Amino acid sequence: MNTLIVGMADYKICKVPDSLMTIGLGSCLGVCVYDQMSKVAGMAHIMLPSSRDILENNPLKYADTCLQAMLEDIKKSGGVPSRLKAKMAGGAQMFSFGGGTSTMHIGENNTQAVTKELKKYGIPIIAQDVGGNAGRTITFDIETADLHIKTVKAGGKVI
Amino acid sequence: MDKFSEMQVGALCEMGNIGAGNAATALSQLLGFKIDITVPHVRVVPIDSMEAWGDRGEIKIALYLKVEGEVSGKALFLMSTKSGEFIVKTLMGGKEGLDLFHDEMACSAIKEIGNILVSSFLVALTNFSGVQMQSSVPALSIDMLGAMLQGIFLDSEDVGEDILVLDTEFSGISAIEGIFMFIPNGDSLKKLLGAFGL
Repeated sequence: MNTLIVGMADYKICKVPDSLMTIGLGSCLGVCVYDQMSKVAGMAHIMLPSSRDILENNPLKYADTCLQAMLEDIKKSGGVPSRLKAKMAGGAQMFSFGGGTSTMHIGENNTQAVTKELKKYGIPIIAQDVGGNAGRTITFDIETADLHIKTVKAGGKVI
Repeated sequence: MDKFSEMQVGALCEMGNIGAGNAATALSQLLGFKIDITVPHVRVVPIDSMEAWGDRGEIKIALYLKVEGEVSGKALFLMSTKSGEFIVKTLMGGKEGLDLFHDEMACSAIKEIGNILVSSFLVALTNFSGVQMQSSVPALSIDMLGAMLQGIFLDSEDVGEDILVLDTEFSGISAIEGIFMFIPNGDSLKKLLGAFGL
């Protein structure tokens, strides 16, 4: 049984008994898409909302292009599109400035972008733990479809 | 790294040391004993390499300030929680069972130190280079390193390609260690070097 670590701007696919993990999610979003019957899951670590208008070499940075690639791979590994479900966590705003200094809401934008993309593919979001101001480390167990979330201040929880 | 010549890196290091000297004086006055800060080396690293920076899950203290002016970007001071606890204890008297995560007074003490460190860096750089820079109030986070770096690096539309990392060495007290980073917007780093004709 292995735990596959998903790096930033990347995704990984696993089958039972392995699990997926991504460490230190801030404004990025960790998205798990799984087929609990064929026991196959993918986890993506998404950095930015959209690949449109951006000429970048790494499509896995963006919500739309990363999810597209991951879903393709899940299908190849035996996941059935109509059975796919999703859970996600992250999208925090790590710093806030007092007064009027505005910061971009990258975390929120990431969450919106992923929600929209999943809807496009007809994949229901079963549970999510997004926003707030804390970093998260998440582990997904495909056997139970549990997403374990750890934060520094609040400890752990399972969704 | 080959985008910057040895001479340019040398100039950045020199600037770093002037800034550090200034910051050390300010910090010595506040803490009540002599501290020296030096910048033994600077690194110009591509922003994409952030994945390789240490343990993403490690808990660190990050002070984040926005820099505005002719040269703009973000300034970041990263230190260990031990360093933060030391600063709080020195400033506020021996506190037993200090809990940085829930102690607002402790957090504002750390913020203040960060403010002094970063703004004295910037004042020195401004004086030395003639390029105007001002910093915002600091934002503080004590959390997983990877999560905090993400929050900072992605918090802008106009992120440059490189980050200037100044390794700082504190002497006089061994209990503080940290690194200072300047994340320039667009081509701010070139502008700064341009001030020296480099």
